[in-house]
Amino acid sequence: MSKSTPEAEAVIVKWLKARYQDYVEVLLELYLQNGEEAEQSTALTLLMRLVKQDLQDEDDKAAKKTLEKLVSRLLLLPEGSSTREEFGEKYLQVYDDIRFYTFEAIASIFSSHQDSSSLPLFTTNTLTLLSPLTNPPTTPSSITSFHGPPPPSKSHLLSHNAHKTTAQTTWLALLRTPLTPAHRKTLLTLLTPSILPWLTRPELLMDFLTDSYNAGGSTSLLALSGLFYLMRTKNLDYPSFYPKLYSLLDADLLHSKHRSKFFRLLDVFMSSSHLPAALVASFIKRLSRLSLLAPPAAIVVVVPWAYNMFKRHPACTFMLHRENHAAGYVDPFDMSEADPTKTRAIESSVWELETLAGHYHPNVATLAGVLGEQFTKRGYEVEDFLGMGYKTIIDAELAKDIKKAPVIEYEIPRHIFTSEEEGELSTLGTLMGKVFESR
Amino acid sequence: MPPSQLKRLKASLREQGITGPQKSKKQKKSNAGGNPEQKARRTAALAQIRESFNPFEYKTPARPKKFDVTTSRPDKKNAVGRPGVSKSLGEETRRKTLLPEMNRRNKVGGILDRRIGENDPTMSVEDKMIERYTRENQRRKGASIFDLEEAEDEEELTHGGRALDLGIREREVEDYDAASVEASSDEEGQDVRSLKRRRDSAEELGEEDGEGDVGKPERKKTKAEVMKEVMAKSKLHKYERQQAKEDDDDLREELDKDLPSILAALRGHLNKPQPKAAPEEPKKANDFAINPDRAALLNGKEREVADKEYDARVRQLLYDQKAKPTERIKTEEEKAEEEATRLKKLEEQRVRRMRGEPTEDEAPLVEENMEDDEEEYESGDDAAEFGLSAAQNTSRPDGVDDEDDFVLDDDLVASDSEFDDESSNDSDDEENVADKTQDLDDEFLRDVLPNGNGHISSAPGTGAQTSKLAFTYPCPQSQTELLRILDGVATSDIPVVIQRIRALYHPQLHHENKAKLANFAIVLVDYTVYLSSQTTAPSLALLETIIRHIHSLSRTFPEQIARAFRSHLQQLHTSNEPSPGDLTILTAISTVYPTSDHFHQVVTPAITLMARWLGMSTPRNAKDLTTGAYIGALCLQHQRLSKRYIPELMRYTTVALKSPFATSDLLDLHIKNLTAAADLWASKSAFLEIFSPELLAVVKDLKQPKALQRLQILLQQSRLARRPLELHHHRPLPIKTSVPKFEEGFNPDRHYDPDTDRAAANKLQAEYKKERKGAMRELRKDANFIAREQLREKKERDRAYEVKYKRLVAEIQGEEGKEKNAYERERRARKGKGGR
Repeated sequence: MSKSTPEAEAVIVKWLKARYQDYVEVLLELYLQNGEEAEQSTALTLLMRLVKQDLQDEDDKAAKKTLEKLVSRLLLLPEGSSTREEFGEKYLQVYDDIRFYTFEAIASIFSSHQDSSSLPLFTTNTLTLLSPLTNPPTTPSSITSFHGPPPPSKSHLLSHNAHKTTAQTTWLALLRTPLTPAHRKTLLTLLTPSILPWLTRPELLMDFLTDSYNAGGSTSLLALSGLFYLMRTKNLDYPSFYPKLYSLLDADLLHSKHRSKFFRLLDVFMSSSHLPAALVASFIKRLSRLSLLAPPAAIVVVVPWAYNMFKRHPACTFMLHRENHAAGYVDPFDMSEADPTKTRAIESSVWELETLAGHYHPNVATLAGVLGEQFTKRGYEVEDFLGMGYKTIIDAELAKDIKKAPVIEYEIPRHIFTSEEEGELSTLGTLMGKVFESR
Repeated sequence: MPPSQLKRLKASLREQGITGPQKSKKQKKSNAGGNPEQKARRTAALAQIRESFNPFEYKTPARPKKFDVTTSRPDKKNAVGRPGVSKSLGEETRRKTLLPEMNRRNKVGGILDRRIGENDPTMSVEDKMIERYTRENQRRKGASIFDLEEAEDEEELTHGGRALDLGIREREVEDYDAASVEASSDEEGQDVRSLKRRRDSAEELGEEDGEGDVGKPERKKTKAEVMKEVMAKSKLHKYERQQAKEDDDDLREELDKDLPSILAALRGHLNKPQPKAAPEEPKKANDFAINPDRAALLNGKEREVADKEYDARVRQLLYDQKAKPTERIKTEEEKAEEEATRLKKLEEQRVRRMRGEPTEDEAPLVEENMEDDEEEYESGDDAAEFGLSAAQNTSRPDGVDDEDDFVLDDDLVASDSEFDDESSNDSDDEENVADKTQDLDDEFLRDVLPNGNGHISSAPGTGAQTSKLAFTYPCPQSQTELLRILDGVATSDIPVVIQRIRALYHPQLHHENKAKLANFAIVLVDYTVYLSSQTTAPSLALLETIIRHIHSLSRTFPEQIARAFRSHLQQLHTSNEPSPGDLTILTAISTVYPTSDHFHQVVTPAITLMARWLGMSTPRNAKDLTTGAYIGALCLQHQRLSKRYIPELMRYTTVALKSPFATSDLLDLHIKNLTAAADLWASKSAFLEIFSPELLAVVKDLKQPKALQRLQILLQQSRLARRPLELHHHRPLPIKTSVPKFEEGFNPDRHYDPDTDRAAANKLQAEYKKERKGAMRELRKDANFIAREQLREKKERDRAYEVKYKRLVAEIQGEEGKEKNAYERERRARKGKGGR
């Protein structure tokens, strides 16, 4: 529509455009938002065709507008919607231009949508929608796939930096919204695979990560890897990092499902040989104290790690061997002290690890026994001991067939449930009776 | 520059005095006659000179020696070779060895001693003779080597098995004589002589005839006839075999008739004296006291029958209990002592297993494991060293952290269970041991019952009930069968039924019983689960008895029962919700198997499962708390000897004490567990940390003064006894040396290979190469020699031929010339005659 067109025609065009908008609205309202899944899918396809047509007519504004409406509708669909998945798989992850516009759309939605009640759902859906996008374009030549016609050569659509900046804006907008703890955790897990590659300036995450790290609990554990990334690449200086790390060693750590992840990082953090021995000793002592109540899979990680620490910091081996002390030695270790350099763990002994050499599981006991032997091995690969669990331990034993006849107790006990006296029950018998009663 | 060859020759000739200043004729003459001694000396000197001047006599090194070096070793490189000499030496030896061989080729000479055993030093003279004799006999028999029948009888019969008819013939001849006498009495004297001659000839003829008669039928036998004979023989054999079998069957039937009485005896008349059939036996035997065979013959029995009876007797004697030497009956003290040593030995073995040390018969196995271990170590997986192998860590996605599918390999742990202690350690008299086990079992079978004497039916207490019970049951092979059998049987009678089944299908009674009883044992394991999962609580005494039966059966069927237990554990592993049935199984495991072992195929998974439940679950109701208390008590029971630490139990007990569902009754149970655990682990170095002040505070809050006091006493003791760890009283490790290793008296020609195997292999290789080269050279020289010799022979032959040819030609020519001369002469003579 140009200026030279007659007025009558302009009216018609205007009317047609209004009808077109109506059509889009109908598709969005009636079908995409409230329709059944098949209808939603059809509406999505139709809308995407319209967007394509718009792009072909070089009417980018209209296309963006339609897409923004579409995306905001999609994000408000309930969790696990197949239509949103379809959008992600068929368009978002395939076409570079659609991805660009979608990022823009989400950013603008977040800026307009601040504190509404639908925000949590919105955030969740955004996260699921965006999490598969892991590979940002690295060069202009890698941007090749377009839903619409290929853009002119100078277009910002062809610049990979423009793509990354848009994505960064979106992610930062998302991080700025008030986040529930669950969202924070999801974000933290997504941080390394999905978010960090898009950021041109990852240091912008610093605040988010420090906040998360300070939150405590498993959120802190998750924030560790992000922090570590920043410390390594952006030279982030985190004051009192080790005391904070020490405070993470609480009763739940060894039962946590993020245990392996944590130990992988802990191994890295503690790998420096320049750490003060007192600090290392505190870590060893605290972990060994915790492993007194830990499952075998966790003990199996703690012991080789402690071995590595002893090997790296020979000053700590006093915890294993300290001569010339009379009986009645008072343990100077202070479990409640928060500062790892002041716990006096180095003056203590790791009785806990020695006790674990008498663990009920033969493999764990043998492993813990290593600490009492001569330290001839250079070090253990902690990675090899990660990822165990009760299931793997039991499966491994039960999966094997019996090759040899098992040993039988040579004495058949006269009483199991009954007791020596007639009519009396033994402890087990009484308990068994209670078990039958409580059924 | 050395003088020329000619000058040197002249000089040496002069030196030897062969040439000298000119001599006068007179001098020459006086020398000419010369003594032979001088002549010999002269030839020797000449030969020496010739030799020294022949450039081919010596082989000088290709490069002359450069520097004079003093070494202790002989200088091999620059030695002067004398190829001529060595060649002639070789030639000489070949002439001595190879030539005779060559000449003897394709020729046979001498006589071979082929007498049997003549060249066999292992045979004694007698053996040789016997062998020769049999061979001779065989040869004489000719075709009958393949005759399976012993042909000795035939051999004995000198007349081919025919009746001796000499008398008859004599008579015939006499008859004939008489006739002849009658016919020509006048010519008596002549006749007598002729008769004698004839008889002689007749005798000769007869002999020949006889031989002919013996030989002829054999020759006449056709193939068909031979086959018929063979068939007849085999039929006869078959018949005999059948007969023997029938006899055996008869015997067996007779035995079967006695079975009910034996069964009755087993059913409870174990201690009853043997039936009166026994005394009869010796009486009968007395009849045959001398020699059964002869006695039978004396009694006029047929030989065959007597033989059979004799065989039967022998067999009877063989299986007779009396035939075995009985062991001396031991005194009470001896028995007690033996029992004590046995228990001591078993306890020692248990302690070894608890420490995870290998038992004697396992040592090589463990070594192998160690080797495996090293291999694993080299492959770089640290966890695998401890049986915690984790193969695919790298491929693991980041999101998933724990509970991955990793294999925990217990093979590497240096501990395994051993064989059934009784059967493995005294393998030399296994039978004896088996008997002992059996005895133990039988003993158990008796005293499992309340009235231990084995007289079930006659026991006054149970008589009324058990009289209703049947005495025989089918051996149940599945749980449904067992339930069918036990349908309508009172709970208190079930042990009796089980015991009867075990007695009826005792493995010694029938070879199939073993398999049947094994199945029955598995059924019993399943039955305990079934009983425990019934809505009405089963009698604990019954469960206990069944578990004890399973224990006793485990001695005979360890693997089958262990598999049954493990399959139940697998179910518990997947469900992770211990039902009362699972608890019964766990209890049974804790009594049947030694729980103190470092590693055990059944106990280790069982306790891991229990610990897992304790570690992963939080009590949601009173039922959970009861189950938890039971599992806790069972765990402690497991560790009553080995005192191993179970972290999960401490965690669960703490949680349980804080649980809102805990009634005072349940709390008591858990407090009991707690104090039991405290008693068990009081000697642990981390006892103070295990029973932390927080836990103590919980106990205090619960108002359990007794338990609290107990704990406080133990803690105080532990506090007083606490010392820092002293784990590393090891000998200090020697510092690794970096000083290079120097070789005293280094020899560059020697190879200092640190790898002895490789060095030996290289040495052998070099030796082989050298030998091969030498052998090839020798062979080549041999071939040359042979070719030369053959050529020489050929030349000789040719020359001889040539000579012969020439001689013949010369002879012929000479003859021709002579004839020609004669002719000429004749011709001239005739001419002269004619001309004249």
